[in-house]
Amino acid sequence: MSHHLFLLSPSDTPIYSLTHYSTKLPQPTSSSLSSNLPTWSTSAFAGTLTALSGASSATQSHHVQGGAVRMGGGQDRHVIQMIANASLDVIEDVMRKESAMYLKSVDKFNEWTVSAFITPGNMKFILLHETKNDDGIRSFFHDVWELYLKTMLNPFHTAHSPIRSIVFDTRVRASAKKYL
Amino acid sequence: MATTSKQYKAIGEDLWKSRTDKINSELFSLTYGALVVQLIQDYEDYAEVNKQLEKMGYNIGTRLIEDFLARSSLGRCSDFREVGEVAAKVGFKSFLNITPTVTHSGAPPPSARPTSTVQQSGVPGSSFILTLDENPLAEFVELPDEALEGGLWFSNVLCGVLRGALEMVQMQVQVEFLSDVLRGDESTEIRVTLLKYLEEEVPVGDD
Repeated sequence: MSHHLFLLSPSDTPIYSLTHYSTKLPQPTSSSLSSNLPTWSTSAFAGTLTALSGASSATQSHHVQGGAVRMGGGQDRHVIQMIANASLDVIEDVMRKESAMYLKSVDKFNEWTVSAFITPGNMKFILLHETKNDDGIRSFFHDVWELYLKTMLNPFHTAHSPIRSIVFDTRVRASAKKYL
Repeated sequence: MATTSKQYKAIGEDLWKSRTDKINSELFSLTYGALVVQLIQDYEDYAEVNKQLEKMGYNIGTRLIEDFLARSSLGRCSDFREVGEVAAKVGFKSFLNITPTVTHSGAPPPSARPTSTVQQSGVPGSSFILTLDENPLAEFVELPDEALEGGLWFSNVLCGVLRGALEMVQMQVQVEFLSDVLRGDESTEIRVTLLKYLEEEVPVGDD
């Protein structure tokens, strides 16, 4: 089960992205559901993604420690980014209405849910995930936010430059491991 | 009367506490950081930036020493060793609220004379090393790769301050950074080497 995190600047330029493979097992209900579905529908699901990405290697290209049944779920990088980009419109809509920072799940695409977090400085943190994990995700977003604040205080960092710091990367990964 | 190390620490502590104008350390770090980044953009050469930071520090140091001596009312230091102690325990403490540790080393012994165990701390060539365990100038800073390769000493202004201040009390010194945690080294170290004592000179143009 994997998560994809994207940090976007106010002008929607990507600042940082991370793919994290969770060692936590996905919820048992979803996997039993998927095993109950007849095989033709699962392959149709995978088929949607294959059709979208145009690549034939949409299924199981990575070894995941979770070990549960994989639906060939969006391993392809292009699909992930397309989902993330598509969700930006939805996020902007919700942004105008709600003043809270953590917007729970703004979009759903097949098995991927998109959660967003908008900072006061209009930075968008987008997380693609498969399972429901509101509290964990909220804590994770807060952690990433604090790490981001520390990076912003570095005088060598400009507002829209990509974050290349190894320290930031390590800490975000550690935080992801803790909460996701 | 010899002032002990503990007394210096107490003096430094008192001076820091008696200062009424203190500023937020984050503001200070951010301002200094912005200054360095701007210098880098203007000069585009890290060696030049180092030189400019040192020059700025020199100007600060020549003025700072007056303030320091007025507030601390310390007399003349008996030898260079004492200079190091005072600079670290009183000087740095009263202005930056940090106390670097001091390591002294005397002049390299001339080969003709029989070696003596007493360190000659008044001799040109003696030096001390200040080891800063924290550096308020460099909070939150991470150097980008170009700065690391270009040889930037981020806190070089401190070198200038020390040089300027000591020159006003008739000591010509060479101050340089040995290592910096921003560069990935284990600690931040500044070495101050005494070059010579300056004689009082008649200002040029005065007759």
